Amino acid sequence: MGNPIIDLLTSTYFLEIAVFPGLLSIAILGALLGWMERKLTARVQLRVGPLYASPAGGILQMFADIIKLLFKELTIPDGADRFFFIMSPVTALIIGAALLGLIPFAPGIQIANIEVGLPVFLAIVTLSPTIVLLAGWSANSKFPFIGGLRALFQQTAYEIPLWLSTLGVVIVTGTLSLTGIIEYQQNSGWLIVPQLLGAFLFLVTSTAEMERLPFDLPEAESEIMMGWQAEYPGPLFMLAQGPAFVKLYAFSALFTTIYLGGYLGPAPIPPIVWFFLKTILIITLIMLFRSTFPRVRLDQLLRQGWTTLLTLSIANIIIAYFLVVGIPAI
Amino acid sequence: MTDLTFLALATVTVASSILALEARDLVYGAAALGIAFLGMAGLFFLLDASYVAAFQIAVYIGAVVVLILFTVMLVGPQLGEPPLELKRLSLLAAILLSLLLGTAGAVSSASAFPGPDNCGSGCDLVGLSNALINQYGVQLEFLSLVLAAAVIGALTLAKTETKAE
Repeated sequence: MGNPIIDLLTSTYFLEIAVFPGLLSIAILGALLGWMERKLTARVQLRVGPLYASPAGGILQMFADIIKLLFKELTIPDGADRFFFIMSPVTALIIGAALLGLIPFAPGIQIANIEVGLPVFLAIVTLSPTIVLLAGWSANSKFPFIGGLRALFQQTAYEIPLWLSTLGVVIVTGTLSLTGIIEYQQNSGWLIVPQLLGAFLFLVTSTAEMERLPFDLPEAESEIMMGWQAEYPGPLFMLAQGPAFVKLYAFSALFTTIYLGGYLGPAPIPPIVWFFLKTILIITLIMLFRSTFPRVRLDQLLRQGWTTLLTLSIANIIIAYFLVVGIPAI
Repeated sequence: MTDLTFLALATVTVASSILALEARDLVYGAAALGIAFLGMAGLFFLLDASYVAAFQIAVYIGAVVVLILFTVMLVGPQLGEPPLELKRLSLLAAILLSLLLGTAGAVSSASAFPGPDNCGSGCDLVGLSNALINQYGVQLEFLSLVLAAAVIGALTLAKTETKAE
């Protein structure tokens, strides 16, 4: 028997949490996604984007930005609630990272394989409006508070269609476990085919949950100057930006898992490569929304969320019901 | 390991519940309530009821705490009422009550819930759903009627306020 601390540090469980698919890989991938978004948007707009930070197309740009932000002065506005002001970005990042603990990246590579993975994932997502609201309130400033309120309205309105759109998958597969959903798809093909409407709804509602264009009203840099992040000084701004990319990664991974068969794919390529290929495809799609669609208005957004999307997600449940029971002969 | 986790979760839950009641700033109170709910969700996880835990988080933190916070922020973050005079007496009452409840729980749990495997195969989620729909369907409907009545009552209140303006 060796040193218990060394045993712990080299145990599979610890490595999974700390390195892959846990914290270290999330941090690196989050930074790379930031680069990818800027490069992709630049290419769509016929610009070059990040260029100088490394020979390979400025791929280290985000790391350079992180180092720069870390060395900035930590100023906290007068009258701000220091506790919530500092804790909100940190908590938001923890929530984003916790989501990835539930995703099966490959057979056996999953931090927490629990029987009700899907509702737990969505339940953790519901924590984020509270955090954003507190962050906006704690800054004691106009634009952050408006941004926090917008985030609250938007995320509450889109959580219900998000839950309901995944319910179709649950009805068809008969399981709440993410591994179980992948096993079902191994036998019956990808769920995006029978659940096309559900997949579309999930993509729209999760884009709104991630506060990404065309639903980025809580940030809306041209109206309310980054919304709830407006008052954050350098290092905290870096932490506040992090959850956006971590959530993008987590939601794309969940989409891959429940609609695109997760790590399933033909044999010569290992499962984990399949998983990342599909996830990056979805991330690219969501990033292209940003360069394609203009921002919607708040009233349009809420009306669509509470009427159209809610109706469509209930219709999707009915479709799932008929998929399971079969269409009755009249 | 489980004992340590339980102790940590229980401490967090109890401490943040007390803070939720005692905090002078209502926003802190609401946030502490959220942490207390999170601790309870953790306790549900320890009891292998992860489905209940997921909904504990989604409903109580995702909806209830957010609504409380929103209301507090809407009416303005004012300091709460000063603590009551009966502080020492109420502390005594709280200790007595928790002792009483704890004793009652300890006495009843030995007889009412003998061992961890008391419900056999009916303990799983499918069994619970079947029982809810088939056996307790009427009660479930009545509970949802109560909720519907609450929503209608809230709507009525909101509407009368608009009329008065």
